[in-house]
Amino acid sequence: MKKIILISLILLVGCTKPELPTPTMPIEKIFTVTESKVTNGQTIYFDLPSSGTYMLTLVEISTGQVISREKFIGQNGENTKKIYTKSLPTGYLYLVLEDVNKNQLNKTKITIN
Amino acid sequence: MKKLLVICFLLISFLGFGQSVSAPDSKSFLPSTTGQDASGFVLNGFSSTATLLASISLVNPPSGTTFVLNTTTGLTAASGFILSGNKTRLVVTGTMANINTALSSLKVNTGSVRGNVVLSVAATVNPTGYFYNGTNGHFYRPISTGATYTNARTLASQQTFKGQQGYLVTITSADEDAFIFNNVPQNTIWFALTDEASEARWTIDAGPEAGTLIKINNGQLNGNIPGQYNNWAPGEPNNSGNEDYAVTKWNGSQWNDLPNHFVNPYVIEFGTWTNPDDATFTEFYTNSVTHSNGEVLTARFNIDFGGNVDETKFSAKANTFVNNVWGVTNNTSRAISGLGKVDITNDLDTNKISDGFKATITPGQVEWSLINPYETSRNGHRLQIDERVFSGTGINLNTIKYVKLFDIYDGPINPMDFNGWWKQWVVPGNINLASKVAASSFQSNIRLQDGWYAFKADYSFSPVSVFKQHGIDIIANSQTELNTLYNSIVTVSDVFLAFKELSNGGIFGNESGNEFTSGIQFMNADVDGNGVFNEADTYKLLQHLTGAQPLTQYSALTYLMKLYSKSEYDAITKTNWNTQFNSTRSLYPFNLNSGTLNNTYNLNVTWVGDVNLSHSAQQTVSGIATNSMRTMSLSTQSVPNQINAYLMGENIGGKVVITISLDPLQQEVVGTQFQLNYDNTSLKFEKVEFTTKGNPTNFGTDRGSSITLGSLISDGSTTLDKTTEYKITFLPLIGINSILGLTSISTTDAVNKNGTQLKIKIN
Repeated sequence: MKKIILISLILLVGCTKPELPTPTMPIEKIFTVTESKVTNGQTIYFDLPSSGTYMLTLVEISTGQVISREKFIGQNGENTKKIYTKSLPTGYLYLVLEDVNKNQLNKTKITIN
Repeated sequence: MKKLLVICFLLISFLGFGQSVSAPDSKSFLPSTTGQDASGFVLNGFSSTATLLASISLVNPPSGTTFVLNTTTGLTAASGFILSGNKTRLVVTGTMANINTALSSLKVNTGSVRGNVVLSVAATVNPTGYFYNGTNGHFYRPISTGATYTNARTLASQQTFKGQQGYLVTITSADEDAFIFNNVPQNTIWFALTDEASEARWTIDAGPEAGTLIKINNGQLNGNIPGQYNNWAPGEPNNSGNEDYAVTKWNGSQWNDLPNHFVNPYVIEFGTWTNPDDATFTEFYTNSVTHSNGEVLTARFNIDFGGNVDETKFSAKANTFVNNVWGVTNNTSRAISGLGKVDITNDLDTNKISDGFKATITPGQVEWSLINPYETSRNGHRLQIDERVFSGTGINLNTIKYVKLFDIYDGPINPMDFNGWWKQWVVPGNINLASKVAASSFQSNIRLQDGWYAFKADYSFSPVSVFKQHGIDIIANSQTELNTLYNSIVTVSDVFLAFKELSNGGIFGNESGNEFTSGIQFMNADVDGNGVFNEADTYKLLQHLTGAQPLTQYSALTYLMKLYSKSEYDAITKTNWNTQFNSTRSLYPFNLNSGTLNNTYNLNVTWVGDVNLSHSAQQTVSGIATNSMRTMSLSTQSVPNQINAYLMGENIGGKVVITISLDPLQQEVVGTQFQLNYDNTSLKFEKVEFTTKGNPTNFGTDRGSSITLGSLISDGSTTLDKTTEYKITFLPLIGINSILGLTSISTTDAVNKNGTQLKIKIN
């Protein structure tokens, strides 16, 4: 009897449908594309070569003027940040990633509507 | 000294100073007549050896109207054009002399359809490697070095030419397609059309038409959207092998779809307007004149807003003055073009109103009237008419507002009073009476005695009707944009210049100071409008700068803008400014003169508080030579008039801290101003902290969604140095771990000890 119960238990467990992993959308890293549209509060993804202090900078394309900058501590690998757009002019801007010595590491164009 | 002159010459040459296209005055052509003189356009200031590109065009002419150049010696027609024959548009290349000779031979042919005949001429030094499309006024640059579609699109958007950002060429008409086919030597050319977002939904994805859907199905004609230009080759697009991007000049002149990885040549387009007259290329000079075919009642305006104001942010409405109130004739707003042109002809109220009677004299037997010599005190001639002339006519003396005195005078008169039998009026102005009488055909009916002339004449009376008093009302299209503009008009450099003028000689009000070079500067600095520029004005300017009290109670155009006729504006000097009209207004009154139906009015704009005239029209006569601040404004593009600043934003202890550090380089900076915009739904302003040497007036004012901050050393006794720093702190209203874009810098201004406006480069 015990054997029957044990076999039934094994069968029950063995027939349980394995849980499939939920599919995840691939995340687009912002510096891997040449141009992106950005909305208020949008999260951006990007990679850093090592942990340390970095800066994200917004530059007006037509004048080369820096209009906004954020200094932050980043980690090695993937990082996330948000961009807020309510105070920004509409149109095209460069988003630039700089290290603490102001060396430009990456650059892409963003569109603010 | 010679070196200085050479440097000045080179600087002027570098800035392209003096290059222009001048236009003739408006005129009326005869309908249905060929070969009518339309000369008067002249190119000025270009190098005599340079090859120029010139475009001559009739803008939306009445049917049957064309032009022709009788002389085309030395000219070459641009692609798509021929020199000879009647046409509505022609683009040529040639030297300035050859083009001017051709322009002097410009003739217009009219048809029977009446209307405006707008002639436009544009010129620039012919750029190598670029093609100009005279139909839309855009430049095109073919790139033979191939690229994938997406790379071509990116590379195109990174190019600028004559101040315009480039974009991958868009093809929106058969004309434009033919232009590219005829001018671009390469084949299989990428242009900005893709269905990458959704298969078979072909959408323009660059330039001013970006986002426009032109086709919703594959196949040569399937799903072509009416009104949109499509020119696919047979069987295309077919998405064979996932083809999401379009090429033109495929196997001839048509389009095909190809995959991104193909490396094809492409074309960069520059220009976003559809009307060539609206072109805003730098070093691209244009002008136009509006003639008419037959006499047409018109009201066209050329409004000079100065160099740093975008005219297209404004529009205009026609008004009439009825029962002492201004009111719009209809509610139509007319856009003001990039050249400051606006036409409100269609909004005029052409219903005339009664305006009294006109008295006309004809040869008679009795001397019922006489006219006196010019009297300065009356600014006119006293006209006397015996009141018995009016007996039995039923005409009320007070209703006589116009007179026709033989062939000597025909126009309005102003009533005076009785003098015995004589009823008196004033003929306004000095009409050069003696010479008019000498040339008159009615000598036997005119008698000279003691300087006055008697007319032996009879009188008749006729009712007069006139057009209503009209006005053009300038309107800001957006209050937000107007606020932004005005924030950039009255800045720290204006305030410092006012202080400098006051301390250097203008303190006694009407005395000419050393710093202001124009009477308009005094008018704009006299912000309380009492005809004296003094400490009260500089105090008000300082209060405005620091945010303590704005210059005007309301931020409406009518309280900020000053409008003058060009002739009035040019006549304002340092000695007469306080006797001239000096009030703000955005409505300019004008009269429709029925004797000259083709009315064009030239208006100039300046602004209260614009002391350095950075946003004001230049004076024509002496202003260019003496208005140094405008020159300074131009030269802010060069490095010597530039200083550096560094911007940093950090999240420190849960607060958002923005730091602006100044590096004045070698400039003796006495004033700075920044506008820091902030997202007021996420941040609350807390404070500005200043690190400055000496005792400047530091200011930091919260304007709700922006902070205006900076420093001013009004007496110029010390200067700001490299230790200058502004720290602005905000409290977050929401939980944030990122701060990028929560604040942004827009307007900046700086001024040095000499009063020179400086550009701030923010790094």
